[in-house]
Amino acid sequence: MAQLTARFRTENRRFAVEDVPFSVPATSETADLSQLINKLLAAAHEDHKYVEFDFLINGQFLRLPLVTHMEMENISTEEVVEIEYVEKYMAPQPEECIFHDDWISSVQATEEWILTGCYDQTARIWSVEGKSIMTIAGHTEVVKDVAWVKQDSLSCLLLSASMDQTVLLWEWNVEKNKVKALHCCRGHAGSVESVAVDCTRTKVSDFWKETFVFLPTDEEDEMEEATPLATLSGHTEAISSVLWLDAEEICSASWDHTIKLWDAETGDLKSTLTGNKVFNSVSYSPLCRRLASGSTDRHIRLWDPRSKDGSLVLLSLTSHTGWVTSVKWSPTHEHQLISGSLDNIVKLWDTRSCKAPLYDLAAHEDKVLCVDWTEAGLLLSGGADNKLYCYRYPATASDVGA
Amino acid sequence: SQEFPDPFAVDFPHVGYDLDGRRIYKPLRSRDELDLFLEKMENPEYWRTVQDRQTGADVRLSEEQLELVQRLQRGQFGDVNFDPYEPSVDFFSHEVRIHPVTNRPADKRSFIPSLVEKEKVSKLVHAIKMGWIQPRKPKENVPTFYDLWAQEDPNSILGRHKMHVPAPKIPLPGHEESYNPPPEFLLSPEEKLAWEQQDPSERRLGFIPQKFRSLRAVPAYSRFIHERFERCLDLYLCPRQRKMRVNVDPEDLIPKLPRPRDLQPFPTTQALVRISGNIHLELMEFWDFGKQGRGSDDGSVRLWEVSSGRCLRSLTLGAVVRSVAWNPNPSICLLAVALEEQVLLVNPGLGDRLLVAATDQLLDSWEAPEEERVQPVRWIPASPEERAKGIRLLVQHDKPVTQVTWHAKGDYWASVVRNPGGRQVLIHQSSRRWSQDPFRKSPGMIQCVQFHPLRPYFLVASQRSVRIYNLLRQELTKKLQSNCQWISSMAVHPGGDNVICGSYDSKLAWFDLDLSTRPYRLLRHHRRALRSVAFHRRYPLFASGSDDGTVIVCHGMVYSDLLQNPLLVPLKVLKGHAPALDLGVLDVAFHPHQPWLFSSGADGTVRLYT
Repeated sequence: MAQLTARFRTENRRFAVEDVPFSVPATSETADLSQLINKLLAAAHEDHKYVEFDFLINGQFLRLPLVTHMEMENISTEEVVEIEYVEKYMAPQPEECIFHDDWISSVQATEEWILTGCYDQTARIWSVEGKSIMTIAGHTEVVKDVAWVKQDSLSCLLLSASMDQTVLLWEWNVEKNKVKALHCCRGHAGSVESVAVDCTRTKVSDFWKETFVFLPTDEEDEMEEATPLATLSGHTEAISSVLWLDAEEICSASWDHTIKLWDAETGDLKSTLTGNKVFNSVSYSPLCRRLASGSTDRHIRLWDPRSKDGSLVLLSLTSHTGWVTSVKWSPTHEHQLISGSLDNIVKLWDTRSCKAPLYDLAAHEDKVLCVDWTEAGLLLSGGADNKLYCYRYPATASDVGA
Repeated sequence: SQEFPDPFAVDFPHVGYDLDGRRIYKPLRSRDELDLFLEKMENPEYWRTVQDRQTGADVRLSEEQLELVQRLQRGQFGDVNFDPYEPSVDFFSHEVRIHPVTNRPADKRSFIPSLVEKEKVSKLVHAIKMGWIQPRKPKENVPTFYDLWAQEDPNSILGRHKMHVPAPKIPLPGHEESYNPPPEFLLSPEEKLAWEQQDPSERRLGFIPQKFRSLRAVPAYSRFIHERFERCLDLYLCPRQRKMRVNVDPEDLIPKLPRPRDLQPFPTTQALVRISGNIHLELMEFWDFGKQGRGSDDGSVRLWEVSSGRCLRSLTLGAVVRSVAWNPNPSICLLAVALEEQVLLVNPGLGDRLLVAATDQLLDSWEAPEEERVQPVRWIPASPEERAKGIRLLVQHDKPVTQVTWHAKGDYWASVVRNPGGRQVLIHQSSRRWSQDPFRKSPGMIQCVQFHPLRPYFLVASQRSVRIYNLLRQELTKKLQSNCQWISSMAVHPGGDNVICGSYDSKLAWFDLDLSTRPYRLLRHHRRALRSVAFHRRYPLFASGSDDGTVIVCHGMVYSDLLQNPLLVPLKVLKGHAPALDLGVLDVAFHPHQPWLFSSGADGTVRLYT
């Protein structure tokens, strides 16, 4: 029975063990190592409760027996191996299932409310418990994307973009539960696929083949037409999704196989990332400064938006068996993201373990069209089976019991 | 006194004359042969006596004289006192001295060419000029050897040598030839009968084995001369030829095609399945950016969104839809639907509202001409309830319409009518609402027609051939003979120089219009009948769908330099459709921009391959 020497370390002070080399069996797996750490901690603290741990070697999750993993990664078994351990992430717990009348094209949630756009030409507001609060009808075609602009306890501003080539800005009065259309942004030559609000909540951009930047004015009563501040054109085919990287930069992903970064002030193209396949959606994480893109070739690719050469894929996550329709980073954790795909599964990934997702959420019976992740640890996914599923996922590992 | 020194004058009796002129007579001594002989034998001094001619006396040579004679005979000097071996005293030395050996000044003749020779040469020249002396001719260098094999043909002889196949060896005598063979080698009566009935050339043995008591009793072999004669014929009269068996590695016969991996992108996997719920799905067409129109056998036309597979519009029309075609003009949003005996021009209202409005405006801006032209069809504007559905114009034919196709500019379109023997093809112009029948006589049963994307050509595919007509000149330009029995579908390459035809006998013919009227390549990839073929607008791909439920995507690279033939590489067999009612894939179409393929099948599904 071969033995390997390993040294354990962790970021979390609570679960620290001594920094001495241990001799572990070579074929031990995550469960065995977890038991070992727990025994050590129980010996050190009396009130230690059993906690599952997950182990990382060189930034990669350990999923195979130790020796197999080391062989695959070409780590020498002669030296002492540094193993970092973190608390194992619990599976997301399904909470709610909200039924709609038609396919759900987009979802965006805050702490209290969920906003969904539906193929029955309406946008709806729901509470996080699943109660329907408001139905916003005003479009003549399918609603493709929705976004919150501003929220406070009295009224909220939200946007809905639709295939009738308009984006409507609504004001929702929370107390009276009434909704009113403030602006109508026209100007697109085709269906508006995606809408994004920047982090300072002052600008809005929406896209079909060109990107427009709109500035919402103050609240007024009449339904007004808003004109675009700037038009950014450069894509040759339809833009599938768009987002703000910070207050100055816009990133757009399109069916012409490129992701373009624009400067919002001047309207210039900053850089282009070229891929091989059509991009269906992108998401940006300010925590790790990475762009994740979902494509029609079933892979999720991570890009560095600052890279100058144009097509440098940092990591490629493959597990879906259909088009990846939507991706979203975790707002709190810098390594986690979820993706939804046409194979009816939503997958939760940790970028440190690129071979397999952490969890598969296979609740949908039909294609998953949109996913979202709130700061409060709520995962949402909506699909073509007219259902919106909510899952509770702890934001940090220490909130397991909460 | 005068002497006769002449030694031959021995016969004279006198030896000379004295001063008075009187003869001096020889001494009277006659010596005859016998005397001479005795003299030789007996005289001991014979060897040293010499007869003096003058006096006639015998002189005995003295010792000195004898020595002289002997010295002379040995070749030495006559004088005894002479020492030939005295050291020579050079009058010159090898050292260079100040004074020359002789100071005699050199003659002029040592500097100038020789005068003596000049005189001799001039005499010779004169003699040559006068012809008294013939100059000697230079000898020709005739080779003294020659090429023995110069005239031979090496091939004939070497070939004969190489091809020499020796006659087969005569088998060594075995037990049958023995005079007393073991009994099992003797033929039984049935075997003997069989042997006699056999053809002499078929017999294994040329004789019947026989048994004798002893070697003495063996008679002469009757067939001896026959056998020897046949053997001689075998040896020198039987023509034998070596058959060259070609050692070809079968791998070399397969053309080296690039690997499919190198020819990406092309559709490889099925991505979306959309079920339309009908039995038949026919004829799809593509429009810009993610919309797609489809006709189906249950009488409706549906418009789908590509990215999600959502059916955006559905027009129920009530009759079987045979063909659907989008107008290729990007500024017009119009769909032509072939419905039984009518062709409907439908504005589905999808996409940019400006486009939709512009289309309506275009169609409504027609003014009727003053005199009515006789038309083979009727153009009927739509009634209000039909307008609500999106239909704008109806074109009423008199027979069922099987196919509609648009011209690249978007104004003209053609319809194919199932009317064997009569008028089958009609060309219409929607801006002027005018139709015409371009052909006087119909060339067989027409399967499909296509407009050429770039040039004013019109391709008409009948059952066996494709005719290309020039519309401007109104004449037949080319007739492509496909080697297929029944053409089912046709597609023209966007570059305009190549055409592919699919046929019901599972062959796909690729025609290169510049090359010849015969197919450049016939691809037999499918097992069953081919229903539909399509080219991609941008990528060098073409696809064919057939009744066995598969779609085969091939790479068809057409080079812009005219010297290189198109490269056709089969890439992938896309399976997914289940054959239903003996029909498999009914129609294939490519996405206009992405390397994606749509196929509709008889199992009621439309599949997207990416």
